[in-house]
Amino acid sequence: MDLLQIFRKTLTAGALLVFGTVISFSQNNNGGTLSGNLEANGNFFIRDSLIGAANTPQYDRQLYGADAWLNLSYNNWGFDFGLRFDLFNNSNLLNPTGSFTGEGIGRWYVHKKVDKFDISVGYLYDQIGSGIIFRAFEQRPLLIDNALYGARLAYDLGENWQIKGFTGRQKQQFDIYEPVIKGGAIDGYLSFGEEGRFWAMAPGLGVVNRTLDDPSMNSIVATVNTYTAEDAFVPVYNTYAFSAYNTLSAGPWTWYVEAAYKTDDNLSDPFGEFVLSDSSVVVGDKLYKAPGTVFYSSLSYAKSGLGISVEGKRTENFDFRVRPQEQLNRGLVNFLPPMARVNTYRMTARYNAATQFLGEMAVQADIRYNYKRKFGVNVNVSNITDLDNNLLYRELYTELTYKYKRTWQFLAGLQIQRYNQEVFEFKPDAPIVETVTPYFDILYKFSRRKSIRFEGQYMIAGKDDKGEGHDYGSWLFGLVEFSIAPSWTFTVSDMYNIDPGKASPIDDSGEKAALHYPRFDVFYTHGANRFSLSYIKQVEGVVCTGGICRLEPAFSGVRFTVNSSF
Amino acid sequence: MKRLSTLLAIVVLSFGCEEIPPVITPVMQVESICDEPAPITDQQRQVLVEEFTGVRCVNCPAGSAALEELIGQHGDQLVAVSIHAGSFAPPYPESFDTLRTAKGEEILSFVGEPLGYPTAVVNRKKFPGGFNLQLPRNGWPGAIEQELQEDPRVLIDIKNNYDEATRELETCVTLQMMDDLSVEESVFLTVMLLENNVVDLQLTPESSEPDPNYVHKHVFRDVLTSAAGNLIQDEVTAGSFVQQSFAITLKEKYKADDCSIIAFVHLGGDTKVVLQAEKEGW
Repeated sequence: MDLLQIFRKTLTAGALLVFGTVISFSQNNNGGTLSGNLEANGNFFIRDSLIGAANTPQYDRQLYGADAWLNLSYNNWGFDFGLRFDLFNNSNLLNPTGSFTGEGIGRWYVHKKVDKFDISVGYLYDQIGSGIIFRAFEQRPLLIDNALYGARLAYDLGENWQIKGFTGRQKQQFDIYEPVIKGGAIDGYLSFGEEGRFWAMAPGLGVVNRTLDDPSMNSIVATVNTYTAEDAFVPVYNTYAFSAYNTLSAGPWTWYVEAAYKTDDNLSDPFGEFVLSDSSVVVGDKLYKAPGTVFYSSLSYAKSGLGISVEGKRTENFDFRVRPQEQLNRGLVNFLPPMARVNTYRMTARYNAATQFLGEMAVQADIRYNYKRKFGVNVNVSNITDLDNNLLYRELYTELTYKYKRTWQFLAGLQIQRYNQEVFEFKPDAPIVETVTPYFDILYKFSRRKSIRFEGQYMIAGKDDKGEGHDYGSWLFGLVEFSIAPSWTFTVSDMYNIDPGKASPIDDSGEKAALHYPRFDVFYTHGANRFSLSYIKQVEGVVCTGGICRLEPAFSGVRFTVNSSF
Repeated sequence: MKRLSTLLAIVVLSFGCEEIPPVITPVMQVESICDEPAPITDQQRQVLVEEFTGVRCVNCPAGSAALEELIGQHGDQLVAVSIHAGSFAPPYPESFDTLRTAKGEEILSFVGEPLGYPTAVVNRKKFPGGFNLQLPRNGWPGAIEQELQEDPRVLIDIKNNYDEATRELETCVTLQMMDDLSVEESVFLTVMLLENNVVDLQLTPESSEPDPNYVHKHVFRDVLTSAAGNLIQDEVTAGSFVQQSFAITLKEKYKADDCSIIAFVHLGGDTKVVLQAEKEGW
C-alpha cells in the first residue's frame, strides 16, 4: 500500500471521525538522510452532562477536535535541519475546558558541529543537570512545548569536558514570550580505577538568568501598587539560578546530588492572604518576592536481581517561570523531578502528586528483587509534605510477580494512598483522600500468537465525618484484553463507581449515581501501521506527566488514531 | 482499511451529533426615544472589565474582591460586569436562580476561553505575553492602568426611561465620535443589562458547601444588542453623533433598583478592542 493510498483511506475515515495518524519515513539521497513522522490525534465528543462531559465548546457545538504534528529532519554536509508543522483544530489539549485552533511551523532548527564547536539555532530542547534550573522540553499529552527559540553554542574542552551557553526566548504556541532566558553549564566526566573496581564521576555547574520585559514588569508594578504597604515589594527584572550537580558511580552504586539556588524572584502564591480595605481577608493569587532553593539527591544500588533506590528532595520558593503571571503548567523555565511512583494501572494512577514549586519535602524509596526471572517483588514508599510538615501525599505500593511455565504470568499487589485534595486540586475543606487498592493482572498465552489478559482493581476510599466516601468514593475496575499477534488487540474495560462518594454525580432521582465508565479499544497493527479506535467514558481526574498535573474534565466520546511508519 | 472505514461509519452514525445552536436575536425595531444629541462633556477614558466567573468556582470570590478594590480605586473610570459562564457556571441544584445565561456563554466563546479562573478580559485587548484576551487576576491592574492612559476615541451617553408599573425600560444610547472611526474596518455597539447585589449560592474557600448569602456584584443578565454587538452603520467620522434606542421588559426576579445599563463601543475584524464604556442606572 503506498503512502498516497493510505493517506486517502485515512482521510476517508477521518472525514467521518476525527483522524489521527503517525507516519514515519526516511530516505537516503546523495549521502543525506531525510526522516520524518506525522502524529495526529482526534476526538469525537459525545455530550454526557451526567458525568460532567459538557459545557465545553467541543461538547456543546464543535463535536470534533484534532491535533497533528509533522516532523521532518534532514542531515547532510554535516548539518542537521529540522522542521515541524503543528496543527490544532478545536483541540482540547492546550486548555481542557477550552478550544484551541491554530496551525503553523511549530519548530525549526539548524545544527552543525564545526571541529570542537557545536552550533544550534532555532527552537531548541535542552536541559542543565536534572532540569532543576533549566529544562526546555516537550510533552504532548499536556501540550507543554517549552522550546527555547534562540541560539546555543557548545565547545569541547577536552575529551570528557564540555561547556555550553545559550540565549533565547520561550515558545508560546505559535508565539514567543517576551522575557529573555540565557544560561550556560560546564559538564565533565572523570573515571578512576581499573576494570571491575571502577569509579566514575560526572560533575557539572550551571547558571540561568531570566530578564523580564517592560510590559510584564509594568503589569507586576500595577498589581503590587494595589497591595497594602506590608504586602508591597520591589519586583526584580533579573533572576539568576545556580546549580551544582554530580553523579558518582562505584560498582553497583550510583549517587546523584544536586543543589540549586535562585536569587530573588517575583513569585505568585495561589494561597496568598489579602486584607481588604474593609479589613476582611480573602485568599487568592498573591505576588511576593523571595529567593529559592532545591536540594535533590538519589542513591541507587543494583546487583544481580536486586535494585534499591532512595531519593529525597526539598523545595522552597522554586517556581521558575518566564513571568510570574503565567499559570498552571505554562511558561515553566525549569522542571522539578516528581517524587512518587509513576503508576500505570487505571485505579492506582487515579491520584497523583503534582510537584509543589513553592514548598515541598519529599522522600521516596524503591526496592525490587527478582529471583531466577520467576518471582519478582517491588515495594515503593513515598512521603511528601509541605515545609510546615502538613501531609500532601503518602503512598505504599507493593507488587508481586510470578511466571509459571511460559504460558502464565501473575501479578498482584496492594496500594495504600493519602492524597491532599485541598492542595493538589484547590478543593476547599476536602479531607485527605484515603485509598486502599488491591489489584491483579493475569496473562495467559494460548499459543505463540494468541493471549488473553485480565486486570482487576478495587479502590476502597475512606469516609469523612458524615460517612460519605472521599471524593468519588469506591471504584471497581475490570479489563479483558485479547491479543492476536502481531495484528489485533481488543480491550474491554469498565470502571464502576460501586460506592459513590461526596463528589459523585447526582442523577435525576436526586441520589448519588453508581455510574459505569466503560471503554472499548481496538488496536490493529499491519506491518508498521498501527490503528486504534476507542469508545471512552472517563471520569474527571488529575492527569500528570512527570510531576506536572492538571485537572481534566470528564471525557465521553470516540477517539481514533492511526500510526503508520514505512 | 475498508472494514475499518465501515466500522467507523457505523460507530459515528450510531451516536447523535447533537449541537447546541447559537441564539438568534433579530434587530428589534424600537421607536426612537432619543432627544436631539448634545455634546457630551466631562467624560474621561472609561475601561471595560468583563469578569468571567461561576458559582462553583472556589477561587472566584477572591477575584471578585480584587475587582471591587480596583473599582474603589478607579471609580467611574472602570465599568465592570461579571459574566457567569464557562465550566464553573452551572448552578447548584439548591441555587435560587441561575446566573448563567446562554448569551453570557456566547460572549465567553466570542472573547475566548481562559486557562483558569478567576479571569477577566480588559477592554477585549490582547496584552503582550498574554495567551489570549483572558487575563489572570495578577494581570488586571496593569492592563487597566495601561488602558486608562489613552484618550477616548468616542464618548457615550446613556439615557434610561424606566416605567415601574409595566417594568419596561427604554434606553437611548448616544455616541459622540472624538476621532475618525471610519478608518476602522467596522465599529460595534454592545448594550448590556446588569443587576447588582444578587444574593445566591457561591462556593468559597471557607467551606466545602456553597455560601447561600454570597452577594454577587454587577451580574450580567441580558444583552440588548446581539451578544457580539450591533454593527454601527451610521457615519462615524470625527464629531458625528450616532443614536440608538433599545427597549426591554425587566423580568420579575430582577430588582429594578439594582439594575443598570452598560454600553460600550468596540471594533470588529482582527481586533475586538473596546474604545469606551459607560454605565448608567435610573
